[in-house]
Amino acid sequence: MSDASLAKPARFRPATEEAPVARWAMIAAAFLGLGILVFAPLIAVFVEALARGVAASLASLATRDAQEAIKLTLTIAAISVPLNAIFGVAAAWFITKFDFRGKAFLITLIDLPFSVSPVVAGLCIVLMFGANSAIGGWLVAQGYPIVFAMPGIILATMFVTFPFVARELIPVMIEQGRAEEEAALTLGASGWRTFWTVTIPNIRWALLYGVLLCNARAMGEFGAVAVVSGKIRGQTATMPTTIEMLYQEYLSVAAFSLAAVLALLALVTLLLKTALEIRHADQLAATHRH
Amino acid sequence: MGKPLIHRSPMPGLGLSMGITLTMLSLVVLLPIGALLLKGASYGLAGIWETVNRDRVWAALFLSFHLSLLAALFNLVFGLLLAWVLVRYRFPGRRILDAAVDLPFALPTAVAGISLTALYAPNGFFGQIAAEIGWKIAYTQWGIFIALVFVGLPFVTRTVQPVVEEIEREVEEASASLGASRLHTIRHVILPMLSPAALTGFALALARAVGEYGSVIFIAGNIPLVTEIAPLLIIIQLEEFNYDAAAAIGIAMLLISFAMLLAINLIQVWSRRRIGYV
Repeated sequence: MSDASLAKPARFRPATEEAPVARWAMIAAAFLGLGILVFAPLIAVFVEALARGVAASLASLATRDAQEAIKLTLTIAAISVPLNAIFGVAAAWFITKFDFRGKAFLITLIDLPFSVSPVVAGLCIVLMFGANSAIGGWLVAQGYPIVFAMPGIILATMFVTFPFVARELIPVMIEQGRAEEEAALTLGASGWRTFWTVTIPNIRWALLYGVLLCNARAMGEFGAVAVVSGKIRGQTATMPTTIEMLYQEYLSVAAFSLAAVLALLALVTLLLKTALEIRHADQLAATHRH
Repeated sequence: MGKPLIHRSPMPGLGLSMGITLTMLSLVVLLPIGALLLKGASYGLAGIWETVNRDRVWAALFLSFHLSLLAALFNLVFGLLLAWVLVRYRFPGRRILDAAVDLPFALPTAVAGISLTALYAPNGFFGQIAAEIGWKIAYTQWGIFIALVFVGLPFVTRTVQPVVEEIEREVEEASASLGASRLHTIRHVILPMLSPAALTGFALALARAVGEYGSVIFIAGNIPLVTEIAPLLIIIQLEEFNYDAAAAIGIAMLLISFAMLLAINLIQVWSRRRIGYV
Protein backbone atom coordinates (compact mmCIF):
# COMPACT_ATOMS: atom_id res chain seq x y z
CA MET A 1 0.00 0.00 0.00
CA SER A 2 1.06 3.58 -0.51
CA ASP A 3 0.29 4.24 3.15
CA ALA A 4 4.02 4.21 3.90
CA SER A 5 4.28 7.59 2.22
CA LEU A 6 1.87 9.00 4.77
CA ALA A 7 4.42 8.48 7.53
CA LYS A 8 6.64 11.15 6.00
CA PRO A 9 6.31 14.73 7.21
CA ALA A 10 2.80 15.85 6.51
CA ARG A 11 3.71 18.98 4.59
CA PHE A 12 5.09 16.91 1.69
CA ARG A 13 1.93 15.82 -0.06
CA PRO A 14 2.49 12.83 -2.37
CA ALA A 15 2.24 13.91 -5.99
CA THR A 16 -0.56 11.45 -6.64
CA GLU A 17 -2.96 12.96 -4.15
CA GLU A 18 -5.16 16.00 -4.22
CA ALA A 19 -4.59 18.93 -1.88
CA PRO A 20 -6.39 18.43 1.47
CA VAL A 21 -8.70 21.37 0.70
CA ALA A 22 -9.79 19.79 -2.57
CA ARG A 23 -10.20 16.42 -0.91
CA TRP A 24 -12.41 17.69 1.89
CA ALA A 25 -14.41 19.85 -0.50
CA MET A 26 -15.16 16.77 -2.61
CA ILE A 27 -16.12 14.68 0.41
CA ALA A 28 -18.40 17.49 1.60
CA ALA A 29 -19.98 17.71 -1.86
CA ALA A 30 -20.62 13.96 -1.81
CA PHE A 31 -22.33 14.14 1.59
CA LEU A 32 -24.32 17.23 0.65
CA GLY A 33 -25.42 15.83 -2.72
CA LEU A 34 -26.46 12.43 -1.40
CA GLY A 35 -28.01 14.07 1.66
CA ILE A 36 -30.31 16.23 -0.45
CA LEU A 37 -30.95 13.74 -3.24
CA VAL A 38 -31.16 10.41 -1.40
CA PHE A 39 -31.36 10.69 2.38
CA ALA A 40 -33.90 13.53 2.47
CA PRO A 41 -36.53 11.72 0.33
CA LEU A 42 -36.02 8.54 2.36
CA ILE A 43 -36.52 10.34 5.67
CA ALA A 44 -39.47 12.31 4.26
CA VAL A 45 -41.37 9.06 3.58
CA PHE A 46 -41.28 8.09 7.25
CA VAL A 47 -41.91 11.63 8.54
CA GLU A 48 -45.02 11.96 6.39
CA ALA A 49 -46.23 8.44 7.26
CA LEU A 50 -46.01 9.21 10.98
CA ALA A 51 -47.37 12.76 10.69
CA ARG A 52 -50.44 11.83 12.72
CA GLY A 53 -48.85 9.24 14.94
CA VAL A 54 -48.05 5.57 14.75
CA ALA A 55 -51.63 4.48 15.45
CA ALA A 56 -53.09 6.42 12.50
CA SER A 57 -50.41 5.02 10.26
CA LEU A 58 -51.01 1.43 11.33
CA ALA A 59 -54.78 1.86 11.06
CA SER A 60 -54.42 2.98 7.44
CA LEU A 61 -52.41 -0.15 6.71
CA ALA A 62 -55.15 -2.31 8.22
CA THR A 63 -57.82 -1.11 5.77
CA ARG A 64 -59.14 -3.57 3.23
CA ASP A 65 -57.69 -1.69 0.23
CA ALA A 66 -54.21 -1.65 1.76
CA GLN A 67 -54.39 -5.32 2.76
CA GLU A 68 -55.56 -6.39 -0.70
CA ALA A 69 -52.83 -4.31 -2.33
CA ILE A 70 -50.13 -5.87 -0.15
CA LYS A 71 -51.48 -9.35 -0.87
CA LEU A 72 -51.58 -8.72 -4.61
CA THR A 73 -48.05 -7.30 -4.72
CA LEU A 74 -46.69 -10.28 -2.78
CA THR A 75 -48.51 -12.70 -5.09
CA ILE A 76 -47.20 -10.96 -8.22
CA ALA A 77 -43.64 -11.06 -6.90
CA ALA A 78 -44.00 -14.69 -5.81
CA ILE A 79 -44.92 -15.68 -9.37
CA SER A 80 -42.83 -13.38 -11.55
CA VAL A 81 -39.53 -13.48 -9.64
CA PRO A 82 -39.13 -17.30 -9.68
CA LEU A 83 -40.09 -17.38 -13.37
CA ASN A 84 -37.43 -14.76 -14.14
CA ALA A 85 -34.92 -16.67 -11.99
CA ILE A 86 -35.56 -19.82 -14.03
CA PHE A 87 -35.16 -17.80 -17.21
CA GLY A 88 -31.95 -16.21 -15.90
CA VAL A 89 -30.36 -19.56 -15.03
CA ALA A 90 -31.44 -21.16 -18.33
CA ALA A 91 -30.24 -18.18 -20.38
CA ALA A 92 -26.91 -18.01 -18.52
CA TRP A 93 -26.40 -21.77 -19.01
CA PHE A 94 -27.25 -21.58 -22.70
CA ILE A 95 -25.02 -18.53 -23.27
CA THR A 96 -21.99 -19.60 -21.22
CA LYS A 97 -21.89 -23.39 -21.77
CA PHE A 98 -22.37 -23.42 -25.53
CA ASP A 99 -20.80 -21.66 -28.50
CA PHE A 100 -23.17 -20.43 -31.13
CA ARG A 101 -23.57 -17.65 -33.64
CA GLY A 102 -25.50 -14.56 -32.64
CA LYS A 103 -24.59 -14.76 -28.95
CA ALA A 104 -23.93 -11.02 -28.64
CA PHE A 105 -27.23 -10.31 -30.38
CA LEU A 106 -29.09 -12.60 -27.96
CA ILE A 107 -27.54 -10.77 -24.98
CA THR A 108 -28.61 -7.45 -26.51
CA LEU A 109 -32.16 -8.75 -26.83
CA ILE A 110 -32.18 -9.90 -23.19
CA ASP A 111 -31.01 -6.40 -22.14
CA LEU A 112 -33.65 -4.70 -24.28
CA PRO A 113 -36.19 -4.12 -21.45
CA PHE A 114 -33.66 -1.80 -19.72
CA SER A 115 -33.83 0.66 -22.60
CA VAL A 116 -37.60 0.51 -23.08
CA SER A 117 -39.76 2.85 -20.99
CA PRO A 118 -41.96 0.88 -18.54
CA VAL A 119 -44.95 2.75 -19.94
CA VAL A 120 -44.06 1.61 -23.45
CA ALA A 121 -43.60 -1.93 -22.06
CA GLY A 122 -47.13 -1.82 -20.65
CA LEU A 123 -48.38 -0.41 -23.95
CA CYS A 124 -46.78 -3.35 -25.82
CA ILE A 125 -48.55 -5.84 -23.57
CA VAL A 126 -51.89 -4.06 -23.99
CA LEU A 127 -51.46 -4.12 -27.79
CA MET A 128 -50.50 -7.80 -27.74
CA PHE A 129 -53.00 -9.18 -25.26
CA GLY A 130 -55.67 -6.45 -24.92
CA ALA A 131 -59.31 -7.28 -25.76
CA ASN A 132 -58.86 -5.43 -29.09
CA SER A 133 -56.04 -7.69 -30.31
CA ALA A 134 -56.54 -11.04 -32.04
CA ILE A 135 -54.95 -13.11 -29.26
CA GLY A 136 -56.44 -11.03 -26.45
CA GLY A 137 -59.93 -11.11 -27.96
CA TRP A 138 -59.82 -14.89 -28.25
CA LEU A 139 -58.52 -15.30 -24.69
CA VAL A 140 -61.25 -13.00 -23.32
CA ALA A 141 -63.85 -15.08 -25.19
CA GLN A 142 -62.44 -18.20 -23.49
CA GLY A 143 -62.75 -16.47 -20.13
CA TYR A 144 -59.06 -15.73 -19.62
CA PRO A 145 -58.57 -11.97 -19.79
CA ILE A 146 -54.89 -10.91 -19.63
CA VAL A 147 -55.05 -7.12 -19.55
CA PHE A 148 -56.78 -5.51 -16.55
CA ALA A 149 -56.23 -8.81 -14.74
CA MET A 150 -53.49 -10.63 -12.88
CA PRO A 151 -51.74 -12.29 -15.88
CA GLY A 152 -51.18 -8.88 -17.48
CA ILE A 153 -49.62 -7.49 -14.31
CA ILE A 154 -47.35 -10.53 -14.10
CA LEU A 155 -46.30 -10.16 -17.74
CA ALA A 156 -45.61 -6.43 -17.28
CA THR A 157 -43.60 -7.11 -14.12
CA MET A 158 -41.63 -9.85 -15.86
CA PHE A 159 -40.91 -7.54 -18.80
CA VAL A 160 -39.33 -4.78 -16.72
CA THR A 161 -37.36 -7.18 -14.48
CA PHE A 162 -36.44 -9.60 -17.28
CA PRO A 163 -32.66 -8.99 -17.52
CA PHE A 164 -31.81 -8.82 -13.78
CA VAL A 165 -30.89 -12.45 -12.99
CA ALA A 166 -29.37 -13.27 -16.38
CA ARG A 167 -27.16 -10.16 -16.32
CA GLU A 168 -25.83 -11.07 -12.91
CA LEU A 169 -25.15 -14.73 -13.75
CA ILE A 170 -23.61 -14.45 -17.23
CA PRO A 171 -20.35 -12.68 -16.22
CA VAL A 172 -19.91 -14.95 -13.19
CA MET A 173 -20.42 -18.13 -15.21
CA ILE A 174 -18.11 -16.92 -17.99
CA GLU A 175 -15.39 -16.36 -15.42
CA GLN A 176 -15.90 -19.77 -13.79
CA GLY A 177 -15.59 -21.55 -17.12
CA ARG A 178 -16.73 -25.06 -17.90
CA ALA A 179 -13.91 -27.16 -16.41
CA GLU A 180 -15.69 -28.15 -13.18
CA GLU A 181 -18.83 -29.26 -14.99
CA GLU A 182 -16.73 -31.17 -17.53
CA ALA A 183 -14.90 -32.94 -14.73
CA ALA A 184 -18.18 -33.99 -13.08
CA LEU A 185 -19.56 -35.26 -16.39
CA THR A 186 -16.37 -37.20 -17.15
CA LEU A 187 -16.66 -38.86 -13.74
CA GLY A 188 -20.08 -40.10 -14.76
CA ALA A 189 -22.46 -37.61 -13.11
CA SER A 190 -25.69 -37.00 -14.95
CA GLY A 191 -26.44 -33.58 -16.43
CA TRP A 192 -28.92 -32.65 -13.66
CA ARG A 193 -26.64 -33.92 -10.92
CA THR A 194 -23.80 -31.83 -12.32
CA PHE A 195 -26.10 -28.81 -12.41
CA TRP A 196 -27.32 -29.20 -8.82
CA THR A 197 -24.06 -30.26 -7.15
CA VAL A 198 -21.47 -28.31 -9.18
CA THR A 199 -23.05 -25.32 -10.91
CA ILE A 200 -25.64 -24.20 -8.36
CA PRO A 201 -23.19 -24.09 -5.40
CA ASN A 202 -20.85 -22.01 -7.59
CA ILE A 203 -23.47 -19.48 -8.61
CA ARG A 204 -25.76 -19.41 -5.58
CA TRP A 205 -24.65 -16.02 -4.22
CA ALA A 206 -24.77 -14.38 -7.62
CA LEU A 207 -28.21 -15.94 -8.13
CA LEU A 208 -29.40 -14.61 -4.78
CA TYR A 209 -28.03 -11.17 -5.65
CA GLY A 210 -29.89 -11.12 -8.95
CA VAL A 211 -33.11 -12.37 -7.33
CA LEU A 212 -32.83 -9.66 -4.66
CA LEU A 213 -32.63 -6.85 -7.23
CA CYS A 214 -35.31 -8.47 -9.37
CA ASN A 215 -37.65 -8.73 -6.38
CA ALA A 216 -37.16 -5.10 -5.31
CA ARG A 217 -38.04 -3.89 -8.77
CA ALA A 218 -40.93 -6.37 -9.14
CA MET A 219 -42.61 -5.18 -5.94
CA GLY A 220 -42.07 -1.52 -6.77
CA GLU A 221 -42.92 -1.44 -10.46
CA PHE A 222 -45.37 1.32 -11.21
CA GLY A 223 -45.36 2.59 -14.82
CA ALA A 224 -45.81 -0.73 -16.63
CA VAL A 225 -48.31 -2.01 -14.06
CA ALA A 226 -50.31 1.24 -14.13
CA VAL A 227 -50.88 0.73 -17.87
CA VAL A 228 -51.96 -2.92 -17.82
CA SER A 229 -53.71 -3.26 -14.47
CA GLY A 230 -56.69 -0.93 -14.84
CA LYS A 231 -56.13 -0.16 -11.12
CA ILE A 232 -59.34 -1.83 -9.95
CA ARG A 233 -59.46 -1.52 -6.17
CA GLY A 234 -59.28 -4.76 -4.27
CA GLN A 235 -58.64 -6.64 -7.51
CA THR A 236 -55.81 -5.29 -9.65
CA ALA A 237 -54.45 -2.43 -7.56
CA THR A 238 -50.88 -3.24 -6.45
CA MET A 239 -49.08 -1.39 -3.66
CA PRO A 240 -47.53 1.29 -5.92
CA THR A 241 -50.79 1.95 -7.81
CA THR A 242 -52.72 2.08 -4.51
CA ILE A 243 -50.19 4.65 -3.24
CA GLU A 244 -50.97 6.78 -6.28
CA MET A 245 -54.75 6.52 -5.76
CA LEU A 246 -54.52 7.38 -2.06
CA TYR A 247 -52.22 10.29 -2.80
CA GLN A 248 -54.57 11.70 -5.47
CA GLU A 249 -57.37 11.54 -2.91
CA TYR A 250 -55.27 13.61 -0.48
CA LEU A 251 -55.10 10.66 1.96
CA SER A 252 -51.49 11.57 2.70
CA VAL A 253 -50.96 9.46 5.81
CA ALA A 254 -52.40 6.35 4.15
CA ALA A 255 -50.34 6.89 0.98
CA PHE A 256 -47.11 7.47 2.87
CA SER A 257 -47.74 4.57 5.27
CA LEU A 258 -47.97 2.17 2.36
CA ALA A 259 -44.94 3.92 0.83
CA ALA A 260 -43.05 3.43 4.10
CA VAL A 261 -43.64 -0.33 3.88
CA LEU A 262 -42.06 -0.32 0.41
CA ALA A 263 -39.25 1.95 1.64
CA LEU A 264 -38.50 -0.55 4.43
CA LEU A 265 -38.37 -3.27 1.82
CA ALA A 266 -35.90 -1.15 -0.15
CA LEU A 267 -33.74 -0.69 2.96
CA VAL A 268 -33.74 -4.43 3.69
CA THR A 269 -32.80 -5.07 0.06
CA LEU A 270 -29.87 -2.64 0.31
CA LEU A 271 -28.75 -4.17 3.59
CA LEU A 272 -28.77 -7.73 2.23
CA LYS A 273 -27.11 -6.55 -0.98
CA THR A 274 -24.31 -4.82 0.94
CA ALA A 275 -23.87 -7.89 3.16
CA LEU A 276 -23.56 -10.10 0.07
CA GLU A 277 -21.05 -7.71 -1.45
CA ILE A 278 -18.91 -7.76 1.67
CA ARG A 279 -19.04 -11.50 2.37
CA HIS A 280 -19.13 -13.00 -1.10
CA ALA A 281 -17.44 -10.36 -3.25
CA ASP A 282 -15.41 -12.98 -5.10
CA GLN A 283 -18.55 -14.76 -6.31
CA LEU A 284 -20.47 -11.75 -7.57
CA ALA A 285 -20.33 -10.00 -10.92
CA ALA A 286 -21.21 -6.57 -9.57
CA THR A 287 -18.08 -6.16 -7.49
CA HIS A 288 -15.64 -6.99 -10.25
CA ARG A 289 -17.46 -6.16 -13.43
CA HIS A 290 -15.47 -4.38 -16.08
CA MET B 1 -20.69 -23.87 -44.99
CA GLY B 2 -18.74 -21.42 -42.78
CA LYS B 3 -19.03 -21.72 -39.04
CA PRO B 4 -21.71 -24.07 -37.76
CA LEU B 5 -24.69 -22.37 -36.12
CA ILE B 6 -24.09 -24.17 -32.83
CA HIS B 7 -20.79 -25.88 -32.03
CA ARG B 8 -20.96 -29.45 -30.73
CA SER B 9 -20.39 -29.56 -27.01
CA PRO B 10 -20.21 -32.30 -24.37
CA MET B 11 -22.34 -30.09 -22.07
CA PRO B 12 -25.85 -31.37 -21.39
CA GLY B 13 -29.03 -29.33 -21.46
CA LEU B 14 -28.66 -27.57 -24.80
CA GLY B 15 -32.26 -28.21 -25.86
CA LEU B 16 -33.78 -27.38 -22.49
CA SER B 17 -31.82 -24.19 -21.81
CA MET B 18 -32.22 -22.93 -25.36
CA GLY B 19 -35.93 -23.79 -25.29
CA ILE B 20 -36.61 -21.94 -22.04
CA THR B 21 -34.49 -18.95 -23.09
CA LEU B 22 -36.03 -18.45 -26.51
CA THR B 23 -39.61 -19.23 -25.46
CA MET B 24 -39.64 -16.86 -22.50
CA LEU B 25 -37.73 -14.14 -24.34
CA SER B 26 -40.26 -14.29 -27.17
CA LEU B 27 -43.33 -14.44 -24.99
CA VAL B 28 -42.38 -11.75 -22.49
CA VAL B 29 -40.29 -9.31 -24.54
CA LEU B 30 -40.12 -9.87 -28.29
CA LEU B 31 -43.76 -10.59 -29.16
CA PRO B 32 -45.12 -7.59 -27.20
CA ILE B 33 -42.55 -5.26 -28.80
CA GLY B 34 -43.43 -6.85 -32.13
CA ALA B 35 -47.09 -6.09 -31.47
CA LEU B 36 -46.21 -2.41 -30.99
CA LEU B 37 -44.16 -2.30 -34.19
CA LEU B 38 -46.93 -4.15 -36.08
CA LYS B 39 -49.47 -1.64 -34.85
CA GLY B 40 -47.19 1.13 -36.05
CA ALA B 41 -46.76 -0.56 -39.43
CA SER B 42 -50.50 -0.90 -39.91
CA TYR B 43 -50.88 2.74 -38.98
CA GLY B 44 -48.20 3.69 -41.48
CA LEU B 45 -45.36 6.19 -41.26
CA ALA B 46 -47.68 8.94 -42.46
CA GLY B 47 -50.16 8.11 -39.70
CA ILE B 48 -47.44 8.10 -37.03
CA TRP B 49 -46.15 11.43 -38.31
CA GLU B 50 -49.66 12.91 -38.25
CA THR B 51 -50.08 11.90 -34.59
CA VAL B 52 -46.63 12.99 -33.48
CA ASN B 53 -46.64 16.23 -35.44
CA ARG B 54 -48.85 18.11 -33.00
CA ASP B 55 -47.72 20.82 -30.64
CA ARG B 56 -48.67 18.89 -27.54
CA VAL B 57 -46.77 15.74 -28.60
CA TRP B 58 -43.68 17.65 -29.76
CA ALA B 59 -43.67 19.61 -26.52
CA ALA B 60 -43.86 16.39 -24.47
CA LEU B 61 -41.13 14.64 -26.48
CA PHE B 62 -38.87 17.69 -26.35
CA LEU B 63 -39.45 18.07 -22.61
CA SER B 64 -38.72 14.39 -21.89
CA PHE B 65 -35.55 14.26 -23.95
CA HIS B 66 -34.02 17.60 -23.08
CA LEU B 67 -34.62 17.32 -19.32
CA SER B 68 -33.32 13.73 -19.41
CA LEU B 69 -30.20 14.96 -21.14
CA LEU B 70 -29.66 17.69 -18.54
CA ALA B 71 -30.29 15.26 -15.65
CA ALA B 72 -27.88 12.71 -17.16
CA LEU B 73 -25.23 15.43 -17.56
CA PHE B 74 -25.63 16.40 -13.91
CA ASN B 75 -25.33 12.73 -12.95
CA LEU B 76 -22.25 12.37 -15.13
CA VAL B 77 -20.40 15.07 -13.18
CA PHE B 78 -21.73 14.14 -9.75
CA GLY B 79 -21.31 10.41 -10.47
CA LEU B 80 -17.64 10.87 -11.38
CA LEU B 81 -17.08 12.85 -8.19
CA LEU B 82 -18.85 10.20 -6.09
CA ALA B 83 -16.91 7.33 -7.68
CA TRP B 84 -13.63 9.13 -7.01
CA VAL B 85 -14.50 10.02 -3.41
CA LEU B 86 -15.77 6.51 -2.59
CA VAL B 87 -12.73 4.71 -4.02
CA ARG B 88 -9.84 7.05 -3.24
CA TYR B 89 -10.68 8.59 0.12
CA ARG B 90 -11.16 7.03 3.53
CA PHE B 91 -13.51 8.88 5.88
CA PRO B 92 -16.18 8.02 8.44
CA GLY B 93 -19.52 7.19 6.83
CA ARG B 94 -18.01 6.02 3.55
CA ARG B 95 -19.76 2.64 3.63
CA ILE B 96 -23.12 4.26 4.27
CA LEU B 97 -22.61 6.68 1.39
CA ASP B 98 -21.60 3.79 -0.84
CA ALA B 99 -24.75 1.84 0.03
CA ALA B 100 -26.94 4.96 -0.30
CA VAL B 101 -25.91 5.40 -3.93
CA ASP B 102 -28.05 2.35 -4.77
CA LEU B 103 -31.19 3.59 -3.02
CA PRO B 104 -32.73 4.98 -6.24
CA PHE B 105 -32.50 1.44 -7.67
CA ALA B 106 -34.21 -0.09 -4.65
CA LEU B 107 -36.82 2.54 -3.78
CA PRO B 108 -40.00 2.13 -5.87
CA THR B 109 -40.53 5.06 -8.23
CA ALA B 110 -43.99 5.90 -6.91
CA VAL B 111 -42.55 6.19 -3.39
CA ALA B 112 -39.76 8.46 -4.63
CA GLY B 113 -42.34 10.50 -6.54
CA ILE B 114 -44.64 11.32 -3.63
CA SER B 115 -41.70 11.83 -1.29
CA LEU B 116 -39.90 14.29 -3.58
CA THR B 117 -43.19 16.13 -4.05
CA ALA B 118 -43.67 16.39 -0.28
CA LEU B 119 -40.15 17.84 0.03
CA TYR B 120 -40.27 20.32 -2.84
CA ALA B 121 -43.93 21.41 -2.73
CA PRO B 122 -44.31 25.10 -1.66
CA ASN B 123 -45.11 23.96 1.91
CA GLY B 124 -42.43 21.23 1.93
CA PHE B 125 -39.05 21.25 3.65
CA PHE B 126 -36.97 22.34 0.65
CA GLY B 127 -39.91 24.01 -1.08
CA GLN B 128 -40.28 26.54 1.72
CA ILE B 129 -36.62 27.50 1.57
CA ALA B 130 -36.77 27.87 -2.20
CA ALA B 131 -40.00 29.89 -1.98
CA GLU B 132 -38.23 32.49 0.15
CA ILE B 133 -36.07 33.43 -2.82
CA GLY B 134 -39.06 33.12 -5.14
CA TRP B 135 -37.96 29.80 -6.64
CA LYS B 136 -40.75 27.35 -7.44
CA ILE B 137 -39.53 23.77 -7.79
CA ALA B 138 -42.44 21.32 -7.55
CA TYR B 139 -44.97 21.48 -10.41
CA THR B 140 -42.37 23.13 -12.68
CA GLN B 141 -39.65 21.73 -14.94
CA TRP B 142 -37.24 21.99 -11.99
CA GLY B 143 -39.26 19.32 -10.21
CA ILE B 144 -39.04 17.00 -13.19
CA PHE B 145 -35.28 17.61 -13.38
CA ILE B 146 -34.83 16.67 -9.71
CA ALA B 147 -36.88 13.47 -10.10
CA LEU B 148 -34.83 12.49 -13.17
CA VAL B 149 -31.55 13.18 -11.34
CA PHE B 150 -32.79 10.91 -8.53
CA VAL B 151 -33.61 7.92 -10.74
CA GLY B 152 -30.39 8.21 -12.76
CA LEU B 153 -28.06 8.82 -9.83
CA PRO B 154 -26.46 5.35 -9.41
CA PHE B 155 -25.55 4.58 -13.03
CA VAL B 156 -22.37 6.64 -13.62
CA THR B 157 -20.99 5.96 -10.13
CA ARG B 158 -21.48 2.22 -10.49
CA THR B 159 -19.90 1.97 -13.94
CA VAL B 160 -16.93 4.23 -13.09
CA GLN B 161 -16.12 2.86 -9.60
CA PRO B 162 -14.48 -0.42 -10.75
CA VAL B 163 -12.37 1.47 -13.29
CA VAL B 164 -11.07 3.92 -10.67
CA GLU B 165 -10.12 0.90 -8.54
CA GLU B 166 -8.02 -0.47 -11.38
CA ILE B 167 -6.07 2.68 -12.19
CA GLU B 168 -2.41 2.01 -11.52
CA ARG B 169 -0.77 4.61 -9.32
CA GLU B 170 2.40 4.31 -11.39
CA VAL B 171 0.66 6.11 -14.25
CA GLU B 172 -0.13 9.05 -12.01
CA GLU B 173 3.37 8.99 -10.55
CA ALA B 174 4.87 9.03 -14.03
CA SER B 175 2.74 11.99 -14.97
CA ALA B 176 3.67 13.85 -11.78
CA SER B 177 7.37 13.09 -12.11
CA LEU B 178 7.32 14.49 -15.64
CA GLY B 179 6.26 17.77 -14.09
CA ALA B 180 2.49 17.71 -14.59
CA SER B 181 0.43 19.45 -11.94
CA ARG B 182 -2.22 17.36 -10.16
CA LEU B 183 -4.99 19.10 -12.10
CA HIS B 184 -3.15 18.46 -15.37
CA THR B 185 -2.77 14.76 -14.48
CA ILE B 186 -6.46 14.46 -13.67
CA ARG B 187 -7.51 16.18 -16.87
CA HIS B 188 -5.13 14.51 -19.31
CA VAL B 189 -4.39 11.14 -17.71
CA ILE B 190 -7.19 10.06 -15.37
CA LEU B 191 -10.32 11.45 -17.02
CA PRO B 192 -9.53 9.90 -20.43
CA MET B 193 -9.20 6.50 -18.73
CA LEU B 194 -12.58 6.93 -17.07
CA SER B 195 -14.42 8.34 -20.04
CA PRO B 196 -15.60 5.10 -21.74
CA ALA B 197 -17.12 3.81 -18.48
CA ALA B 198 -18.53 7.24 -17.68
CA LEU B 199 -20.16 7.41 -21.11
CA THR B 200 -21.72 3.98 -20.57
CA GLY B 201 -23.17 5.16 -17.27
CA PHE B 202 -24.34 8.37 -18.91
CA ALA B 203 -26.17 6.41 -21.61
CA LEU B 204 -27.84 4.16 -19.03
CA ALA B 205 -28.92 7.14 -16.93
CA LEU B 206 -30.25 8.88 -20.02
CA ALA B 207 -32.24 5.84 -21.17
CA ARG B 208 -33.70 5.44 -17.69
CA ALA B 209 -34.67 9.11 -17.44
CA VAL B 210 -36.34 9.26 -20.85
CA GLY B 211 -38.71 6.43 -19.98
CA GLU B 212 -39.26 7.38 -16.36
CA TYR B 213 -42.85 7.82 -15.27
CA GLY B 214 -43.50 6.98 -11.62
CA SER B 215 -41.21 9.44 -9.90
CA VAL B 216 -42.02 12.28 -12.30
CA ILE B 217 -45.81 12.48 -12.56
CA PHE B 218 -46.40 13.49 -8.95
CA ILE B 219 -43.91 16.37 -8.92
CA ALA B 220 -44.47 17.48 -12.53
CA GLY B 221 -47.87 19.13 -12.27
CA ASN B 222 -48.63 17.66 -15.73
CA ILE B 223 -49.66 20.87 -17.48
CA PRO B 224 -49.96 20.25 -21.25
CA LEU B 225 -47.19 21.95 -23.28
CA VAL B 226 -45.29 22.91 -20.10
CA THR B 227 -44.71 19.98 -17.73
CA GLU B 228 -46.30 17.03 -19.51
CA ILE B 229 -43.79 14.22 -20.20
CA ALA B 230 -44.03 11.82 -23.15
CA PRO B 231 -44.82 8.64 -21.14
CA LEU B 232 -47.76 10.43 -19.50
CA LEU B 233 -49.10 11.36 -22.92
CA ILE B 234 -49.12 7.64 -23.83
CA ILE B 235 -51.12 6.86 -20.71
CA ILE B 236 -53.61 9.65 -21.47
CA GLN B 237 -54.14 8.27 -24.98
CA LEU B 238 -54.62 4.76 -23.57
CA GLU B 239 -57.19 5.96 -21.05
CA GLU B 240 -59.13 7.43 -23.97
CA PHE B 241 -58.80 4.04 -25.76
CA ASN B 242 -56.86 5.83 -28.47
CA TYR B 243 -54.53 2.89 -29.14
CA ASP B 244 -53.26 4.15 -32.51
CA ALA B 245 -52.05 7.45 -31.06
CA ALA B 246 -50.53 5.72 -28.02
CA ALA B 247 -48.65 3.32 -30.31
CA ALA B 248 -47.45 6.18 -32.51
CA ILE B 249 -45.99 8.10 -29.55
CA GLY B 250 -44.51 4.88 -28.15
CA ILE B 251 -42.77 4.15 -31.46
CA ALA B 252 -41.49 7.73 -31.70
CA MET B 253 -40.02 7.36 -28.19
CA LEU B 254 -38.40 4.02 -29.05
CA LEU B 255 -36.87 5.44 -32.25
CA ILE B 256 -35.47 8.57 -30.58
CA SER B 257 -34.00 6.59 -27.64
CA PHE B 258 -32.39 4.01 -29.93
CA ALA B 259 -30.93 6.81 -32.08
CA MET B 260 -29.51 8.48 -28.96
CA LEU B 261 -28.04 5.22 -27.63
CA LEU B 262 -26.52 4.53 -31.05
CA ALA B 263 -24.95 7.99 -31.10
CA ILE B 264 -23.49 7.48 -27.63
CA ASN B 265 -22.12 4.06 -28.64
CA LEU B 266 -20.44 5.64 -31.66
CA ILE B 267 -18.90 8.37 -29.48
CA GLN B 268 -17.66 5.64 -27.17
CA VAL B 269 -16.06 3.63 -30.00
CA TRP B 270 -14.46 6.83 -31.27
CA SER B 271 -13.14 7.88 -27.86
CA ARG B 272 -11.72 4.41 -27.20
CA ARG B 273 -9.96 4.44 -30.53
CA ARG B 274 -8.57 7.93 -29.97
CA ILE B 275 -7.36 7.25 -26.46
CA GLY B 276 -6.37 3.68 -27.15
CA TYR B 277 -7.70 2.42 -23.83
CA VAL B 278 -10.10 -0.50 -23.79
